[in-house]
Amino acid sequence: MLRKMKNNYLVLVTNHTLEEKLREESNVTFLFPIEGFTVGFPTTFSLDEIPRNAFIFVNRILDTVGIQEFKEFILNLPSHIQGIVFDDIGVLEVLNTIPNHLTKILFLNHFNCNYLSINTYLNYADSVVVSIDITEGEVEEILKRANKPLTLYTFGYVNIMYSRRKLITNYNEHFDKHLPFISEITNDLKQEFKIVENDYGTVIYPNEPFNGLRYRKYDHVLYHLINSLFLTDEEVINIIHSKSNLDEKYPYAYLSQEETIVRIKERS
Amino acid sequence: MIELLAPAGNLERLKIACLYGADAIYIGGYEYSLRANAINFSKEELAEAVEFAHRLGKKVYVTVNIVFHHNDLKGLKEYLEELVSIHVDAVIVSDIAVISTIKENHIPLEIHLSTQASTLNDEAALFYQKLGVKRIVLAREALREDIKNIKDKTGLDLECFIQGAMCTSFSGKCVLSNVATNRDSNRGGCAQICRWTFTINQKDQVFSMTPKDLNMSIYLKDMMDIGVNSFKVEGRMRSVYYIATVIYEYRHLMDKIMSNTLTKSDILYSNDIINRCANRESTPQFYDKMPTHQEQYYLGREEVSNQDFLGIVLEKKDHLLLVEERNYFKVGDVVEFFGPGMDTKTYQIHKIYDENMQEIEVARHPKMHVYLEVGEDVVKYAMMRLKVFDKNDYL
Repeated sequence: MLRKMKNNYLVLVTNHTLEEKLREESNVTFLFPIEGFTVGFPTTFSLDEIPRNAFIFVNRILDTVGIQEFKEFILNLPSHIQGIVFDDIGVLEVLNTIPNHLTKILFLNHFNCNYLSINTYLNYADSVVVSIDITEGEVEEILKRANKPLTLYTFGYVNIMYSRRKLITNYNEHFDKHLPFISEITNDLKQEFKIVENDYGTVIYPNEPFNGLRYRKYDHVLYHLINSLFLTDEEVINIIHSKSNLDEKYPYAYLSQEETIVRIKERS
Repeated sequence: MIELLAPAGNLERLKIACLYGADAIYIGGYEYSLRANAINFSKEELAEAVEFAHRLGKKVYVTVNIVFHHNDLKGLKEYLEELVSIHVDAVIVSDIAVISTIKENHIPLEIHLSTQASTLNDEAALFYQKLGVKRIVLAREALREDIKNIKDKTGLDLECFIQGAMCTSFSGKCVLSNVATNRDSNRGGCAQICRWTFTINQKDQVFSMTPKDLNMSIYLKDMMDIGVNSFKVEGRMRSVYYIATVIYEYRHLMDKIMSNTLTKSDILYSNDIINRCANRESTPQFYDKMPTHQEQYYLGREEVSNQDFLGIVLEKKDHLLLVEERNYFKVGDVVEFFGPGMDTKTYQIHKIYDENMQEIEVARHPKMHVYLEVGEDVVKYAMMRLKVFDKNDYL
């Protein structure tokens, strides 16, 4: 049974100072990327670093070893951990097999673009993160038709590619370089991206944060997820406190304002 | 059950795949396929494809593997029911909305979970098995131990890619194309941004993340031993020559494994044939290790494209073959024929006749029809290529 939540920001934390500064906020729940189970973060956290009533973040696609380690992790999870946000469907299966008290939020990145998929997964999870890759109109439609309150990715850098390959390590080996594991790449269209590697793979982000603060107007939302990665503590605090949508400061709407193209040419 | 599974982007390629030894073919229908820019199959072509394949004892799987948005759901149930009426053998899906639609409406379709779902562990496989999924197409990132563990724990039919292009990303976990070009990668519009070059950290250094192709020929037997059921070749956008070549070689290797006669020279020879045809380097990628820089391209592809594909045999007339030309050839060239049910045959061209049976020295126009005196053992639909590799050199 889902507990009634008074908080509605789920802040993905990337350093302890942010947690300290926001600790007294009544509408903030913290989400910590867990060491060994996440990709795309320069900093991760061990269980003993996580405060009471926080959520844990598990966004790796887990292999045989990884899922076994996750089962052991869940069996030893302290009772003060409130919930989990995760990507791998194997994690969902484990969470529904091994008794636990966690609030389960499925964040199947790049999926869950329609209400039918979301309602199906809601039979197994407490909430689902609505896909970031859809238009605002589609988000609104999903919120209307979802069987449970949903979680919206409301602000932050978006994981747009996840590779199991260590792309920076491989590059360094090939050219005998020492590029840092957080770098920036630019394509011929002058589009810039951030690229982050850890032991489990490589993630690419656009070079500016998605601003979906206007989504705060919608009902039927369990949490608004704020990803603090690459943001300063002050920026995150300002975002949470701001009544405005900060469109001038953060203009990037990601894919929320224009339908993507499916077919380049129609069948002749 | 062991199956060689071929791609086909149109009816001609499907027929060639069937004839060259595929046990099953996967195709995109007129809706919901991740190769939105392929020609794909109309309803009538789908029906013809299934009928043709079934007549030869082959199966046809239809991809319904986009990530669905609301608007895509309209007509999904009717489309799936139509696939039932055409008697397709299974659908390949990635979005749980399709599974849900099939189950809620009791649509009698076998469900295969697409590689887009990025399945790497037995718990994920169990989840989908409970939903009624019969087969899982594993993530291309699966290690040997992942494949074995999933088989051991679930007993599900497992389908693994053995040949073809790789995504840099987990399939389904990438929207670089959406962001860079507004083309939707998970609805069939991928612009393959991972094959572009980049500069890194605002310097002039060129950064690249392009993987070489997958080639699992050296591990086919091991994959059979750990329980892989379906051996899948990537490439619904690939040419009829590519499909013929790759399916012919893998059919040959798999048959030799099953008759316990496979040699290392068979594998080396087939690899050279496949790589030259694909015009890319290929390696096992994830199966035996985590990929290193040796499994990627950095300074662009170094292979030179070739014109090895010379023609297709359209007809046999007594001792003459009617060949439709695809690339230039001339009297004196040493060529090879390979085709359905025949061994590869080497032949030096000594005469070429045009359609009026006038002797000519050169076949220089694509699609022109010429006659060659080759002999009895070359079959209709055989491919003619320039001879580049001699199998004796591999013994």
